[in-house]
Amino acid sequence: MEILDLILGIVQDGLFAALAAIGFAAISNPPRIALKWCGVIAAAGHITRYCLVNYTPVGIVPASMVGALAVGLLAIIIAKRVKCPPETFSFPALLPMIPGIYAYRTVQAFVLALTAHTEQEFQHFFYLSESNCLTCVFVILCMVIGQMLPIIAFKRVAYTVTRPDEKER
Amino acid sequence: MHSHVSHPTPASVPAIRKCTLHGYEPLAEVCRFFTEYAAVMLGCGATCQRIEKNLRRMAKAENLVVDMLILPAHVRVTVGPAAEKECAELTLPVRKMAINYNYNTLLSKLSWKVAEGRVKLRHAPAVMERILAEPPFNKWKVMAGVVVANASFCRLFGGDWIATCFVVLATLAGYSLKNVMVGRKADPKVMFICCAFVAAIIGASAYYIAPAHTPDVALGTSVLFLIPGIPYINSVSDMMAGHYLCAFSRFMNALILTACIALGLTAAFLIMNIQIF
Repeated sequence: MEILDLILGIVQDGLFAALAAIGFAAISNPPRIALKWCGVIAAAGHITRYCLVNYTPVGIVPASMVGALAVGLLAIIIAKRVKCPPETFSFPALLPMIPGIYAYRTVQAFVLALTAHTEQEFQHFFYLSESNCLTCVFVILCMVIGQMLPIIAFKRVAYTVTRPDEKER
Repeated sequence: MHSHVSHPTPASVPAIRKCTLHGYEPLAEVCRFFTEYAAVMLGCGATCQRIEKNLRRMAKAENLVVDMLILPAHVRVTVGPAAEKECAELTLPVRKMAINYNYNTLLSKLSWKVAEGRVKLRHAPAVMERILAEPPFNKWKVMAGVVVANASFCRLFGGDWIATCFVVLATLAGYSLKNVMVGRKADPKVMFICCAFVAAIIGASAYYIAPAHTPDVALGTSVLFLIPGIPYINSVSDMMAGHYLCAFSRFMNALILTACIALGLTAAFLIMNIQIF
């Protein structure tokens, strides 16, 4: 039963991450063929982070970096097949990993700090705002760095994927 | 910002000030195309590194060297023959458009076609215009995608199905308002404040209608469809490539929009009297 719950949790996480990535990718008008791959890559990246956060002692910040690294690597591999720049897949695929809820809590706690009536109340809300803000900023930084590393490591592949192959010539 | 290059560039040629577009017509045409290309690529969300590589690729095919200066709202391209001192330069505003990875992909492919001689440089502007005439996704399909995406976000953050329904309603209302305001050419900042406010009011109503069904997640997720995620990622990506000025300008643009979302959210908090901590 525990194994079943574990698998169900992972599948749900991947599915919702894929749906979120495809939906938000549509805003940035990718080539139509890229949409499904955005979903696949987002699912892989989010599942990686989900497993690290829930089943290992790794925190959300390093886990986001590892998840983003998976996104970056897959984007390079798929970009070569689909002949689109890797950022076409990797940027929308990162969107489900953006810690929006931390950003929201930062703003909310900040507003509550501003409207606090006592010093103790103010310090409590301000601490919450700072702590959520720091987590949010570092998760985003690590995500982007993790996603960029494969592009830097495989620069040649990353910037030549749009070159038409023999068949297209 | 000045691009960093390892080979001699027109920017380092002493005679640069003497060169004008008027005195160098064929080069002026090339310069105009390169500048428009860079302005469109910046507008559609390409990274600075990709724009630079694409321009260099096309220039190299014609034995030209090219250099690019990216300012917060403008781009300047300097181009000249590799072996001569003359060059042309032009500054254009960054094209105002929504992020479009289809243009990014097709324009990158165009750069290869020019580099390999399959499209002549003089025909490239017409090809670029044809690419830019391609219609974006149908706005109703995009809206459906955004609603599903935001609802998925709610589930990812631990919201239950009732909270997800509130998020669906909030996203529908917020995104519809965004479409209306885009159609009326409203200021983006005002648009973000209004959309965040409307979405947050609907999200916050979960506190009163369904207080037992993760209303905090419903409210938190209701405005997330507005977060300018790709400009933030682009900004860090440019920063890592050493394009600090462009990175900063993209970051500031995204930050201002995020502040507008926070403003709309704050107004909703105060009106709905929300305190969850």
